[in-house]
Amino acid sequence: MSEPVEKQSVPSVWRIRTLSGPLLWAVGLAIPAVFDSSWVSIAAIFAIYAVSALSEDVILGRGGMFDMGHAVYFGIGAYVTAILNSSFGLPIFATLPAAVLLSAAAGALLAGPLMRLRGDYLLVATIGFNSIFVLAMQNDPGGMTGGSDGITGIGFPSLFGLPLASQSAMFWLDWVVLGIVLLLMRNLDRCEFGRAQRYLKQDELAATTLGVDARKVKTQAFALGAGLAGLAGTLFAVQLSTVSPASFVFTESVTLFAVVIVGGPGSIPGVLLGTALMFVVPQIFRDFAQYRYFVFGIAMIAVMVLRPQGLWPQRRRRA
Amino acid sequence: MSALLELRGLGISFGGMRAVDDLSLSIEEGHIAALIGPNGAGKTTVFNMITGVCRPNDGQILWQGQDITGAPPHRIASLGIRRTFQTIRLFPDMSVFENVRAGCHLRAHQRWWQGLLGSPAQRREDAMLAERTHELLRRLDLDGVADEPAVSLPYGLQRRVEMARALVAQPKLVILDEPAAGLNDAESAELSQTIFAIRDSGVTVLLVEHDMNVVMNVTDHIVVINFGRKIAEGDAAAVRDDPAVIEAYLGRDDEEPAP
Repeated sequence: MSEPVEKQSVPSVWRIRTLSGPLLWAVGLAIPAVFDSSWVSIAAIFAIYAVSALSEDVILGRGGMFDMGHAVYFGIGAYVTAILNSSFGLPIFATLPAAVLLSAAAGALLAGPLMRLRGDYLLVATIGFNSIFVLAMQNDPGGMTGGSDGITGIGFPSLFGLPLASQSAMFWLDWVVLGIVLLLMRNLDRCEFGRAQRYLKQDELAATTLGVDARKVKTQAFALGAGLAGLAGTLFAVQLSTVSPASFVFTESVTLFAVVIVGGPGSIPGVLLGTALMFVVPQIFRDFAQYRYFVFGIAMIAVMVLRPQGLWPQRRRRA
Repeated sequence: MSALLELRGLGISFGGMRAVDDLSLSIEEGHIAALIGPNGAGKTTVFNMITGVCRPNDGQILWQGQDITGAPPHRIASLGIRRTFQTIRLFPDMSVFENVRAGCHLRAHQRWWQGLLGSPAQRREDAMLAERTHELLRRLDLDGVADEPAVSLPYGLQRRVEMARALVAQPKLVILDEPAAGLNDAESAELSQTIFAIRDSGVTVLLVEHDMNVVMNVTDHIVVINFGRKIAEGDAAAVRDDPAVIEAYLGRDDEEPAP
């Protein structure tokens, strides 16, 4: 059953592998120069959802915790930016740390009760959190969230007094953030925190007897995943200049969950591929958008049956 | 001389079953001690209580005089106690190197954000721990299979990988749960040498073992339990001739008719 270990990986192949990622990212920077504005906005949406899916992967793919309420953290980030910007007039970049930290705090807080639950039980509990979040936003607590209509008129971010108002400028912002998050994920693969996650996922008892503090590592994973989702939420609020509860409902969480499972849990290229399939393809085939979940349902079943490790699985690594 | 590890009146029940009852023993630093007894005597349960996997109902566990009863497994590990499992528990999707490297977890002092940022200090530490892992792999003659998936190895080698994982952080006490199970004669003879080598490197050893050759050859101190209770204790010669031990293992040979 075990995968054959790639032995004949010559150095040049290795170099192509490590360089192809940054190269593709750099090529991506040229998208606004080549494509028209509708494609640029699709690429921006891809970058935002890729950050969101990678953040789900921290919890689901790497942590092995069935988080099916990830849209909550995405939503907290979006709402924090929307409220601070439209009601309090804070510049977008000033809202960003608050969005990340509040989402991370929510993740760490919810991790407490979730930690005791396993597999399917955890999944049901996270669905519960998602429903609570959407209901709370709809009920407009303190007149802050604007109820079902949400919040409109979110401003543009500006950098050193220079407004990033154009479609291209916003794309570049999203793309740069995606690049930073990809770098973080690559480092996560290589550091002790990432390894501790793998130990716990593969054998929790063995891991704890080697000194892995399961509670701490899982809480950190939730906080990190939620914080990155909050970051994506800020970008989302800016991109659409409006937030409403409909963007953070349970089905959005399901889609993020599916992106990770279908793409390849713990695999950066896998999650990016999954994001492209789930969020970008439907934008291209707008006319068929209503068949989205029909097609994805079939695709998920096919992947689970034919390729349970995901379309682009995590590869064995050495250290 | 104070004991490295001391159990005082340890007891645990599962449901209505008294798995371990009023067990007291102490292990001296630098010794090789063994816990033996027939199948189902409660040996693994004792290990589970020491390593924090399950919590005793009664009694105390003292580590260098300090009460550690009921501490969680990762806390026990941080004291310098490592174990292997009767049913080998290697990380299935990892190579031999990665499995053994996992044993260094507590030697890594990097913070999570240092790891995420890939700081120079974090990289230096990772390189240092990788070197430490390779060194131990060489010492245990596992360097040839370092990159193989651990679970693809033959049984005997898997046991050795698990032992390497327990030893790589240079613990104070290593607990081996049936290290000779599934080994052939040559391998178990080699195991005795390995256990001596572990002791000589400054690690106290506690083992559960069925292979009496191994037990009689290597141990300084043997504790025999049956039905969760201690029935004998002493060095190899004393335990071997103890009537209670012979009875536990072989049954009574002069069954007397009821009066």
